[in-house]
Amino acid sequence: MKNTATEKAKVLLIGIGNSGRSDDGLGWMFAELASRFPQIDVETRYQLQIEDAELVHKYDTVFFADASHTALPNGFQMHRIKAARHFFYSSHLQSPETILYLAKELYVKSPDAYSIAIEGLHWELGTIVSDEANIHLQSAFSYFEKKITRIFQIKYSTQPGT
Amino acid sequence: MNRKITIDPVTRVEGHGRVTIHLDEYGQVKDSFFHIVEFRGFERFIQGHPYWEAPVLVQRLCGICPVSHHLAAAKAVDQLEGVDPKDLSPTATRLRRLMHFGQIFQSHALHFFYLASPDLLFGMDAPVEKRNVIAVAVENRELAIKGITMRKFGQEIIKAVAGKKIHGILAVPGGVHKTLTEEERDYFLNGKSIENIDTMIEWSQAIVNFMKDYHEKNRKFLDEFAAFPSGHLGMVNDEGGLDLYDGKLRAIDSEGNITLDDIATDLYQEYFSEAVAQWSYMKFPYLKKVGRENGWNRVGPLARMNMCDFIPTPLAEKERQDFIAFTGKKVNNSTMYSHWARLIEILHCAEVIKELLHDPELMGNDLIRKGTPRLKGIGIIEAPRGTLTHHYEVDEKGMITRCNLIVSTTHNNDAMNTAVRWVANNVISRSGNITDGMLNQVEVAIRAYDPCLSCATQAMGKMPLHAELYNHLGKLIDEKYSN
Repeated sequence: MKNTATEKAKVLLIGIGNSGRSDDGLGWMFAELASRFPQIDVETRYQLQIEDAELVHKYDTVFFADASHTALPNGFQMHRIKAARHFFYSSHLQSPETILYLAKELYVKSPDAYSIAIEGLHWELGTIVSDEANIHLQSAFSYFEKKITRIFQIKYSTQPGT
Repeated sequence: MNRKITIDPVTRVEGHGRVTIHLDEYGQVKDSFFHIVEFRGFERFIQGHPYWEAPVLVQRLCGICPVSHHLAAAKAVDQLEGVDPKDLSPTATRLRRLMHFGQIFQSHALHFFYLASPDLLFGMDAPVEKRNVIAVAVENRELAIKGITMRKFGQEIIKAVAGKKIHGILAVPGGVHKTLTEEERDYFLNGKSIENIDTMIEWSQAIVNFMKDYHEKNRKFLDEFAAFPSGHLGMVNDEGGLDLYDGKLRAIDSEGNITLDDIATDLYQEYFSEAVAQWSYMKFPYLKKVGRENGWNRVGPLARMNMCDFIPTPLAEKERQDFIAFTGKKVNNSTMYSHWARLIEILHCAEVIKELLHDPELMGNDLIRKGTPRLKGIGIIEAPRGTLTHHYEVDEKGMITRCNLIVSTTHNNDAMNTAVRWVANNVISRSGNITDGMLNQVEVAIRAYDPCLSCATQAMGKMPLHAELYNHLGKLIDEKYSN
């Protein structure tokens, strides 16, 4: 998977989850798929942390992909999110909205941001996602491909070499 | 009327704990307990696995200090491979040290900036919505950015040597599996991509000065809050100086008298025993010769400041001397000074990281050593939260037959219970009513020890946030959710 060592790209995808917890690995699998796009920087996280605000502020567009316990239409949901001041009691479990809020407060930057929720069904110890969750993953990624293609057409169509 | 107050879970600590305070009919504290209610399983879980898997498997104990578990296990596994710390190659030793000091640097930064600073900046009676790092970020932007950047620096060090910030792999039996390139080293020196190590030292010094100012204004609070006598345990080098990676175990009592005189770490079983209690999954280690009642020790930054003769880096040693001069005591038994001690250690870590980055041995190619295999390996390291022990025994095929882990938070179990009792007796007893500020003081006392309850119980899973108040009949009369 491509990491963000260069941080040249303007689009970031963060896959959230745990590949050792069955369908909780969906976020990481989505990140693996997204790394096919050379224009996208990709990171994975067990949980979002406060310092992720420092990372996201460097991008124009940020996607947060995570498994969902909730049943979703077509097995996934992608929607725009905005900065909001949530706080969870742990230091290392923050919402994407809070990360955006911190990016705005600390670094005065508000990237366009989207949440990609992928419906999972099994959460026990294990490194394989369920068949149903895998179908949801493929559906979500197909939708994302269309979305990201549109973003690049809009944002980079006038730049040389793109 | 008997009442039971439950704080469940304690917040801004790593993991899920629960506090119950029992009042008698006169409103005085009858008893108090800091319960650890998460499941304990890793010691059994890794039995039957080959020994070389241990440094990788045990990292899953925790997402905050996986490096400490990785390295403590690695030191034990080195011995199973027949290699003692002194026989490791210079490059392997330096790379492991770099990873370890990067880990302590980032973990201490996390604790101070993310977890403890709301208590210090906003006070005990601040409203719930203000007692978190988001409020710190909004009201103290410069401090928050420094905290985030310092934590990031430590994590980048870990990533450089282990490939990943969390659950990366550096150590293998008898050494390390990769070295560091000049380009990777220069990333931390040239300041082109991230703030460089000189800036980290400068900022570490600044945050120690911040704490000294805070001390001047709040000395009574720091002196008195949750202060109680106890033993202090840590590791020192051959000269008696602080050593966070390797050395000998030393303990002192509350007056500074030696109770454990620089023993080799692989002798720990001869000197320590572990008690259990019905109301907690976490054990209670103590020094056998002192006994269960008084033989427990605090570990971590405060203990390390107390028991070492010096810190072997100049800026941190100067700060240690100021720390001792300020308090004017041979041994500091005040819980809240843990924060100050932690910041001095941040400075020490930054100094050591700089030394290591300039050491050419760091980028050598002699990585792995071999010895005559053994059946027992004991690795002890000073983790961010204190002395951490990993003990493995294997059969002739190299499969793990026994594992004993004594994590730092376990050593601090008695200390945290005593701190809770102090708050219960001095703040809640006879108060007539219970306020959020009072409950927060219980948490502040625990939080100073930076406990990692996930490590201490090797737990997995989600932690709810729920406070409950019961009357003497056991009926729930109030409950609070912090979020």
